[in-house]
Amino acid sequence: MRYCLWVILLLTAGCRYSANNPDPNDTVLYSTHSAKVRGLDPGDIGDVTSTIIASQMIECLYQYHYLKRPYELIPALAEDMPSASKDGLVYTIKIKKGVRFYDDACFKNGKGRELKAGDFVFAWKRIADIKYLSKNWWIFDNKIVGLDEFRQYSKACKTAADVDYNTPVEGLQTPDDYTLVIRLKKPWPQIVYLLAHLPTAPMAKEAVDYYRKDIINHPVGTGPYMLKLWHKGSYIEMVKNPTFRDEYYPSEGEPNDANNGLLADAGRKLPLTNRLISVLIHEDPPQWFLFLQGKIDVSGIPKDNFSQAIDQRQRLTPEMRARNIKLLNYRDPDTYWLGFNMEDEVLGKNLPLRMALSCAVNREKYIELFTNNRCEPAYGFIPPLMSSYNPDIRNIAQTDYDVQRAGRLVKEAEKIHGGKLPTLTLAMPSADAVARQEGDFYKSCFSEAGLEVEIDYMDWPTFQEKIKTKSAQMFALGWIGDYPDPENFLQLFYSKNASPGSNNFNYSNPQFDAIYEQVSVMPDGPERDALYKKAEEIVVKDCPAVFLLHGVAFVLSHDWAYNIKPHAFAYGTSKYRRVDETKKAAYSELLRKLK
Amino acid sequence: MIAYIIRRLLYTIPIIFGVMVVTFVLFNIVSGDVSDQIAGKAATAETIKEIRAEYGWDKPLFMSWDSQFVNHLKNCLTFRFGRSWSDRELIITKIKQGALPSLSLTVPMFIGELVISISLALIVAFFRGTIIDVLSVFVCVVLMSVPFLSFILFGQYFLAFKWGLFPVYFWPDLPLPEYVALPILIGIVAGLGGNLRFYRTVMLDELRNDYVRTASAKGLGTASVLFRHVLKNAMIPIITQVILAIPFLFLGSLLLERFFGIPGLGYLMIDAISARDFQVINAMTFIGAILFVVFNLITDICYSIVDPRISFE
Repeated sequence: MRYCLWVILLLTAGCRYSANNPDPNDTVLYSTHSAKVRGLDPGDIGDVTSTIIASQMIECLYQYHYLKRPYELIPALAEDMPSASKDGLVYTIKIKKGVRFYDDACFKNGKGRELKAGDFVFAWKRIADIKYLSKNWWIFDNKIVGLDEFRQYSKACKTAADVDYNTPVEGLQTPDDYTLVIRLKKPWPQIVYLLAHLPTAPMAKEAVDYYRKDIINHPVGTGPYMLKLWHKGSYIEMVKNPTFRDEYYPSEGEPNDANNGLLADAGRKLPLTNRLISVLIHEDPPQWFLFLQGKIDVSGIPKDNFSQAIDQRQRLTPEMRARNIKLLNYRDPDTYWLGFNMEDEVLGKNLPLRMALSCAVNREKYIELFTNNRCEPAYGFIPPLMSSYNPDIRNIAQTDYDVQRAGRLVKEAEKIHGGKLPTLTLAMPSADAVARQEGDFYKSCFSEAGLEVEIDYMDWPTFQEKIKTKSAQMFALGWIGDYPDPENFLQLFYSKNASPGSNNFNYSNPQFDAIYEQVSVMPDGPERDALYKKAEEIVVKDCPAVFLLHGVAFVLSHDWAYNIKPHAFAYGTSKYRRVDETKKAAYSELLRKLK
Repeated sequence: MIAYIIRRLLYTIPIIFGVMVVTFVLFNIVSGDVSDQIAGKAATAETIKEIRAEYGWDKPLFMSWDSQFVNHLKNCLTFRFGRSWSDRELIITKIKQGALPSLSLTVPMFIGELVISISLALIVAFFRGTIIDVLSVFVCVVLMSVPFLSFILFGQYFLAFKWGLFPVYFWPDLPLPEYVALPILIGIVAGLGGNLRFYRTVMLDELRNDYVRTASAKGLGTASVLFRHVLKNAMIPIITQVILAIPFLFLGSLLLERFFGIPGLGYLMIDAISARDFQVINAMTFIGAILFVVFNLITDICYSIVDPRISFE
């Protein structure tokens, strides 16, 4: 009956479309995601969209403070911050008592059981189990005593069913149900950040046994929301978890937070909204129209609609203000670049050539043309939001846009090369219209400096393959920080991480390596910050890339959505957000008046 | 007739086999290895090796009973396409889930387009050489010249967003007929130009025949001449056009599904292409080929039903 299309179609087509009247007690936060949710099994999640969705239902040991900046970790499932031994090799973590997995058919009588320390051990062994084929083994690779041996053991097993999860791992101990002891192979101060990273979330063995391969569709967590409906390729709906632990809205934040109304809900029990609905929208026009219609509560600004929303002074346009829309912006933890393959015969041995390429690119123009001035030019790789960011990096790098200087450097480069430079090739990770415009822009910049560069457009998988096999000479890429420690960026230049590892530049500098090895095991502090800066200085002077830009995100929200404060690293933030349904319902009246 | 059908079914065996060979070569040999993509960032060689074993990509390509090619044949013939590597979901489940949304968009679009374009073609053909005919040709050329995406953007902006006549996009509390109404309308309008031109030509060819003049001379009315004689005799090209278009209905509409949030097979295909999910592309290609062969056979059978001059011999 539902699909008796013709009759209903004739009745409805052409009729004025109106939204249903909302129930003010049923608060719903509507959002969108622009990529498909690939799966909701935390152990195998590797993409941002799936992480955002799953983080509303699944919690980790730690989480980021919602309001405080610089970004700060606080306990989530853990009772307190971990206590580390003096040598930094043993971490003891107490788990909160009384936390329950939400009700699910996988549990006895469908009632969620209490979370235990063993659920973390099971989840991490699962990631180590080679038969499970997790994308996230990099987190634990060569870090925890005995876990690599467990991986080898799982490799020797014939099938996935043969892997016995009772096989002990020396570095993962649970003296009681609420204590987790982690023994490390070497100091790993970044472990706390990774313990706030979704793949390290606990997993109930019952859920894995019950759902088997279908676990990707059945997240079983302890979070503020639980899955109600997942209409694949369309939308996902989550409802409040009635057994969610006692967690309250923060009562302190940045100095301006109180003025911005961000502390009005201080001390209220979370979550503040009953339901979450996230709709998959690939294309910008419908996403923007839905936001303006008031169907979506919070939105980014599509490139083509930027001037409609933001004026020359980077403030909201009168049209947006008339709709009571609010603007928020924040720095993204990212850096984008045109990387050089340092093992390439032409580029690797020719510093003036790399400098020439770097001086030839007009970053400001690029930012204006392709990002609506939504970025900051980059001269190094550590993003400005990190505490170790060096504001002097521009003077150190000396790669400002300067065509004359680039021309002089090209001549120097030709001397080193022993004649005219060959045509260089820049690999682009996409072949769409924007990528082609960007390619044309780079080409014209390089050509002004007297350099011939051919642009090679390809799809993302081919691009990845080229980089992993070291066959790309230059490549357009970037990195979004996983956690607010610059070590996450430094590892991209460590020689032991060369392709197919994360060092796509195949950069190698013993001085840098020595500093990296030193800082990667050092606890946080001013001494470490100084070393980070020194390491960045070494890299920018070697110029393994044209560092292009750091992103700045612009977020719009309607005035009925409260407690919206963008966060660069946290994903499970919907629990803090609140919606005033009465105000939302009045929006259609406002739209009528505006017409 | 039965002998003919059996003979035609036997012909389909080498065709299907050919499709399976081509899809195997395309997606298992030419396309390259995606195991490092599945493994994610910083994957070790051993993880990649395990992935290859899990998906059977470490087996010999041809020369074994357990080769990749033999397994490919088995999977295709039993419709067990395995799991998509991009989200580990069963491919056949994805196809089943996507078929209904696609058909709910493409079937009404197809029928609407067919009825409107044939009706208009008859009218225009009747008024051949007049200003109505000239205007219709002009409108058809305009409709054919406008890119499909422009229809979508125009419809979504004006009809849905500005004038509020339709929903802009799929929305969870909306019934299916409401959110497919606009894409159906857009699909019909966008396809009208080409179809009307085609059917007008078919009708004109028939109207020039002697039997039409004879029928009119005998005193038959216009409606009777057009619908009982002209339309019936124009059925051969119409059947060819219509039945061979049916397999494509199952494959959905890539752009409409993407712009209006319809989780159909068009969306599934485009998602698989962008993720290099060759197993999904292979399954869709194989099913598309089977449908095409079957509907080709149906077309041939229909020829003889509408035109007694065509014999199964």
